[in-house]
Amino acid sequence: MTSLFVKIKGQLGNFNLNFEHDFKSEGITVLYGPNGSGKSSIISAIGGFFRNLEISIILNGQDLEGKQKIPSYKRAIGTMFQDPQLFEHLTVSQNLDFAVKRVKPRNKKYINIEKTDLIKSLDLETLLKRFPTNLSGGEKLRVALARTILSQPDYLLLDEPMSDLDIRYKAKLIRFLKAFNKQNKIPILYVTHSIEEISQIADEIVLINKGRYIASGFTSKILNSYDFQNLVGKFEASSVLEGFVSKINKRFSLTTLNIDGQDLMVPGSPGSLNNFVRVRIRSRDIIITPIKINSYVAENLLVGKILEIEIEKKTAFSELVIVLLNKKNENKGQILRARITTYNLEKMNLSDNKKIYIYIRSVSIDRQAYQHN
Amino acid sequence: MEILNLSHSDIIALLVTLKLALTTCICLAIIGTPIAYFLAFSSSKGKSIIESIVTLPLVLPPTVIGFYLIIFFSPDTKLGQFFILLTGEQLVFSFYGLVLASIIYSLPFWVQPLQSSFENIGKQTIQTSNSLGAGPFDTFFNVILPLCRRGFLTSFILSFAHTMGEFGIVLMVGGGIHGKTKVIAISIYDHVEQLSFAKAHYLAGGMLVISFIILLCLYLSNKNISVRVK
Repeated sequence: MTSLFVKIKGQLGNFNLNFEHDFKSEGITVLYGPNGSGKSSIISAIGGFFRNLEISIILNGQDLEGKQKIPSYKRAIGTMFQDPQLFEHLTVSQNLDFAVKRVKPRNKKYINIEKTDLIKSLDLETLLKRFPTNLSGGEKLRVALARTILSQPDYLLLDEPMSDLDIRYKAKLIRFLKAFNKQNKIPILYVTHSIEEISQIADEIVLINKGRYIASGFTSKILNSYDFQNLVGKFEASSVLEGFVSKINKRFSLTTLNIDGQDLMVPGSPGSLNNFVRVRIRSRDIIITPIKINSYVAENLLVGKILEIEIEKKTAFSELVIVLLNKKNENKGQILRARITTYNLEKMNLSDNKKIYIYIRSVSIDRQAYQHN
Repeated sequence: MEILNLSHSDIIALLVTLKLALTTCICLAIIGTPIAYFLAFSSSKGKSIIESIVTLPLVLPPTVIGFYLIIFFSPDTKLGQFFILLTGEQLVFSFYGLVLASIIYSLPFWVQPLQSSFENIGKQTIQTSNSLGAGPFDTFFNVILPLCRRGFLTSFILSFAHTMGEFGIVLMVGGGIHGKTKVIAISIYDHVEQLSFAKAHYLAGGMLVISFIILLCLYLSNKNISVRVK
C-alpha cells in the first residue's frame, strides 16, 4: 500500500497555504479546487520544488522533507506539468531515453514498465524519430506522459495534463490512465478544474479552496456534497447517478441504465451489458412536477422524494435535494439535485417529503458525463 | 615581416587582440554563466542589485571604469600586491590586468543574452528534468546547455567582438605596451597620431569588415538577440 502524507504551511506571495492530507488511495485521486486555490503549489511541494515553506511530505514512511531533505531528482515521484516540457533538442525517442537512463533505485513491490510496451499503448511508434517542435499538442502530451512513467516513479503527479486537449483525445487518455493505474498499482494524483474530467477519472476527490483542505472522499460522495456544489458554483451544479447497463438499443443508439430499479435512458454506449456506469446530471437540466404528466416531455421519468429545499434569496432560483426511490432498498436512494426557479417552486406548492416526478431529457446528457469503471 | 601590408608591430597587436578576446571569453564563460543563471532563476531581493552592477559597464564612460581599475590594480592595493607576489609583475600595464579589465567591461555582453536565453527555457523545464532524475549538473550539461546553445553563441560573439573593439579602458589600464598590451584599437590611434593614414586605413578597414561579418553571421543565425539596458 502506497501512502503519501502531505502537510504544507506558509506564505506564497500574498497567498496563505495551509494544507494537510493523508493520501491513502492507490487509485486516481483528483485534487480539485477553483483557479488559484493552491493545487499546483501542492504538486510542486510534493515534487520537491519549494523552499521557504513549512513542508512535511512522507512517502511510504520516508520523510522527504526531514533533516536531510531529499532533492527532487532523488524522489521516486514523477511530476508532469500542464505544459508537456519536452526537451526540444532531443527526438521523441531520446526524450524517452532521458528518463530511462536516470531511473532511480526502486522499491521492489513495483514492476518495471517497459519502454516498448508503453510506446505501443500510447501510439508513439510513428513519432519516435521526430523532434518535439513537429508534434501536435496531444502528441506532445502522450510523449511527456510516457517519459514521466518511464522514470519509474512510485507516485505520479499530473498537473492539469489535459487542459489543452480535445474531447476525443481526453477519453482515450483517461482510459489509458485508469488501466495503467490498475495494472501497475502506481497511485496518481491528478489536478484539474474540469468537472467532466473529474467524473470520468476520479476514484477519490480532495477538495481545496484558498490554500486549505475542504473535504475528501469517494467520487460520488464528494460530487454530491455541499462542499463541492459550493466550489463549482450553482450554475454548473450537478449530481452523479450510478447504475448498470440493462438494455442497449442499437437502432437509436441509446443505452438504458438501471438506477436502483428505475430506468434512465442515455445516449451513446457508455458501457456494455451489465457494466457499471456513472453519469453526471446537471441540476439545471432536470424538470420536476408534483403530478405525473405525459411521457413526451422527456425520455426519462424517475420517481423520488424531496429531501430539502434551499431558496436562494438573491437570485431567481431554488435548489432541491431529491432522494430517488430505490426499489430494492427503501432507505438508500441516490441523491439528485435539481435547480428550478423559486417562482415555479411556489406555483407547484412543493415541500419536504413530497413525492415528485423527475423528467430528464436524454439529450442533456453528453459523452463527457460518463464515467466508466 | 609584412603580410597584407601590415607591419610586424601591427601583426603582433592583432595577435595580442585575439589572445585578449579569447582569454576574456573563456573567463567570462566561467564567471558570467553562473551570474546569468542566478539572475534568470533567482527571486531573491539581491537580484536587482547584482543586475544593476552587471549592467553598469554599458552606461559608464570607459574612462570611469579605467580610472577605478587603475586605482584598484595599483601595487599599493591588496590585489596589486597579491599579483606581484604571484608573478613578480605589477597588474597595471600587464596582459592579465587587461584581461581582468576586459572581463568587467564585457560582463553585460556575456550575461544578458545568456540570461534571457535561460529565462526562455524556464524553471519548469529544469524541474521536469529534476523530476526525471537528473541532478543539477546533469541538468545543466544535458538540458540547459544544449537548449541554450544559441544564447551561448550570442554571448560569445558579442563579448569577443566587444573586447576586440575596446579602446579607452585598454589604453588606461594597459598603457599600450608593444607586444604586451598594445591592441589593434591602440595601433590605429598611434598610426593616426603619426599621420600614417594608409596604415590606419588597413587596420580600421579590417576591423570594420571583420566586425560587420561577425554581426551579420550572428543575426543570420539568430534572430532573438537581446542586449538590454535596464
